[in-house]
Amino acid sequence: MLLELRGVSQRFGGLQAVADLSMTVAPGSIHGLIGPNGAGKSTVFNLITGVIPLTAGEILFKRERISGLRSAEICRRGIARTFQATALFREYTVLQNVLVGAHRLAAPGLGPALLWSASYRERERRARERGHALLKSLGLGAVASQVAGQLPNRDQKALALAMALATGAELVILDEPLAGLTDQEKAETTAVLRRLREQSLTVLLVEHDMKAVMGVCDTVTVLDHGVRIAEGTPREIQTNAAVIEAYLGAEEPGA
Amino acid sequence: MSSELLVQALLNGFGLAMVYVLVALGLTLIFSILEIINFAHGEFYMLGGYVTYYVYALSGLNYFATLVLAILTVGVAGVVAERLIFHDLRGKALNAFIVSLGLLWVMQAGAQLAFGVLDKPVPSAFSGVVRVLGLVMSVERLVVTLSAIVLIVALYLFLRLSRPGRAMRAVAQDPDAAALQGVNIDAVSALGFGVGCALAGGAGGLLAPLFAVSPAMGALPVVKAFIIIIVGGMGSLPGAVLGGLLLGGVEGLGALFMGSAAVNILGFLMVIVVLLVRPRGLVGGA
Amino acid sequence: MERRAAAPVAGVGLIALAAATLPLITRDSYYLDVATTILMNLTLTMSFRLQVSTGQINMAHISFMGIGAYASALLVTRVGLSFWATLWLGALVAALLAVPIGSVALRVSGPYYFLITFAFSEVVRLFFNNFFEGLFGGPSGLVGIPKPGRLLGLVFDGKPALYGLMAVLCLIVVVALVRLDYSRFGLTAGAIRQADLVAETLGVNVFRYKLTAFVLGSFVAGLAGVFFAHFRQVLHSSDFGLEPMVLLVVFTVIGGTGSVWGPVIGTIVMTLASELLRELHHYEILVFGAVLILTMLFAPEGLVALSGAARRRLRRLRGRAPAQAGAGLAP
Repeated sequence: MLLELRGVSQRFGGLQAVADLSMTVAPGSIHGLIGPNGAGKSTVFNLITGVIPLTAGEILFKRERISGLRSAEICRRGIARTFQATALFREYTVLQNVLVGAHRLAAPGLGPALLWSASYRERERRARERGHALLKSLGLGAVASQVAGQLPNRDQKALALAMALATGAELVILDEPLAGLTDQEKAETTAVLRRLREQSLTVLLVEHDMKAVMGVCDTVTVLDHGVRIAEGTPREIQTNAAVIEAYLGAEEPGA
Repeated sequence: MSSELLVQALLNGFGLAMVYVLVALGLTLIFSILEIINFAHGEFYMLGGYVTYYVYALSGLNYFATLVLAILTVGVAGVVAERLIFHDLRGKALNAFIVSLGLLWVMQAGAQLAFGVLDKPVPSAFSGVVRVLGLVMSVERLVVTLSAIVLIVALYLFLRLSRPGRAMRAVAQDPDAAALQGVNIDAVSALGFGVGCALAGGAGGLLAPLFAVSPAMGALPVVKAFIIIIVGGMGSLPGAVLGGLLLGGVEGLGALFMGSAAVNILGFLMVIVVLLVRPRGLVGGA
Repeated sequence: MERRAAAPVAGVGLIALAAATLPLITRDSYYLDVATTILMNLTLTMSFRLQVSTGQINMAHISFMGIGAYASALLVTRVGLSFWATLWLGALVAALLAVPIGSVALRVSGPYYFLITFAFSEVVRLFFNNFFEGLFGGPSGLVGIPKPGRLLGLVFDGKPALYGLMAVLCLIVVVALVRLDYSRFGLTAGAIRQADLVAETLGVNVFRYKLTAFVLGSFVAGLAGVFFAHFRQVLHSSDFGLEPMVLLVVFTVIGGTGSVWGPVIGTIVMTLASELLRELHHYEILVFGAVLILTMLFAPEGLVALSGAARRRLRRLRGRAPAQAGAGLAP
């Protein structure tokens, strides 16, 4: 297993956001995490990426414990993420955003930057080349020198994905990658995700669009009130009684 | 050392600390509503001092009437400052902070030009000392301390019971939810800033007879207020009271052993220790 | 290619060349004094901006200048070291103290950070003012600090020589910091300022970057402090109090912190303005305070970015080049 959550809990104030959650993500799969609003999906993402600390349990990545590490260290181990409210460096150009993402692969210390050495410049030149190639592969080649904050929603989403990929991550965690996209844009994005899977990347995503989730995911985990209520293939999930009840019980079936 | 000496030292510390708590409450109230640290808060305290000087010391109005006037005047000044300057900086901590540095200079230089640079003495309204159980306190300090406590309680009741007070607490807790419930955020921000400044103005009026009034008089109390709210937790009103009591206790006891400069450093050391243990202050949230 | 450093470095070179000719034009000690002060302030603002570029407003920055100044003054007068050694030692002392202090202060962010650094600056000021009066001179100040003295057969005591020395120091600092700003370090620092959480989840150790900027900035501030000590030859704790600190904020943010040019222009213009208003101290403070407020309200990205924005708008009107956002202070 690439990623393994063992009895993970998170308590915020008096609120139990996630309770004794165990789940595994298989390498090379697209894994969906779904559930009604407030089910704790985003909290799970924050726990995996070290944005908030867990109160119990542990998280393993490639059989090594990552819970308790700094977010930056978790990223260095190979997990990158996007945020629900698309988070970019809005003042930077698209390429600069990706270059920040490539931090781990290019980052030199203070010395080389001050000395402006040949090897430093060479490394930066290669980082830019890789950045351009990555942008092109995600359909952002034409906007590489535009300011990120002024991109349309679709391009911002794509850029967030590009930044995560630029880290060289083996597992990317996507928080609502399809939100606010048109049907055609959704189809394009899911095609990209399938292509990434073919390149043996693993994807864990939260998404409200059930049709898209069932179409693209290999495995789906369902959360309700911080508790895992089901896990299986999309077909199993669609016929699972507990899942249907959770969604019917919720005010708004997430679709 | 006798226990009476210790209690006396604590009493001395707590007495003034209550006034600094007023300054700190104003600062923390503004922070909780606008997420702004107003570095010019001490200048509103100074304004309260000058109102007291001109109205009480020069014109001879009753001390308590003057205090009320100082509170109202500075409160209005606070509302004006919010409308003119801080309104659009809600939540922009960095920019608002820098703006407040500018306001600090404008108000200080303005006071120097308008009122002159020299200290203005304000006569005591009360004389004599009170002796209870071997403890000594001047009537003046006693009145000042009790007045501060009355104002703290008044603020508490205002925030608990009055409509605008409850609106302020709602905005402090969650501005978006408050707006959805029909709270007028703009009005609450302006009023909150005004109330915050009014507390500083009241403190300035209270301490004017103890220390002289001068354009730079706001520096010391605002530093104390900073210490109090960092220790207590920013945005927390009970935290400010707790922080003030701690600071008063530490300074009161410290005064037994060291000079006033060393005592001032003590407060800062307390800040550093608290931040190391609880980075969000004693009563701060997660 | 982005963030090319050649052009700015060339710009710095040109300015340096212009600066170098000053002593040839005038031997008037007043002008040289003002020019030296500008360079000293510039060194300080550049080091402050290094920290601002990672999103920190360090209200104790001026204190590290003070630490460098007092350290060097004492090492020269008490230990008998040469200025040329204490120039670096003083800066080193400031940098070494910055490590534990930065480690504590950087545990918090935003408003807490302003306040804890301010608290620390007050501790330093009170310390120099009230403790070890025999060493630090107490309220009457530390006097009798000698001028730099000889190096390589040159005597550094006249105004032109001190100006030249400061110009060299300033040039080294500016070139290094400009280079850093246009390097990956600057790129990452700006990313932290815009969205530190995103940077962290992309593998940037935000704390380490901020601490690096804190310590390096303190080193440069210490360097400026050492020069200050031996240039003015007397130190008061108030030289490193709130007023000069706010002045430093004014210098840095008025021009805008988005590029290195904002603080450069801000420092030159405001130091000159400060000289012109010197006779009218209250008005100086009043005007500077008002300028600071108006800038943050109407041009929060600074006056340099404002002119850039105007230029871009003009260009867009002519139907060229896409709009580009300036890098402001606003998070």
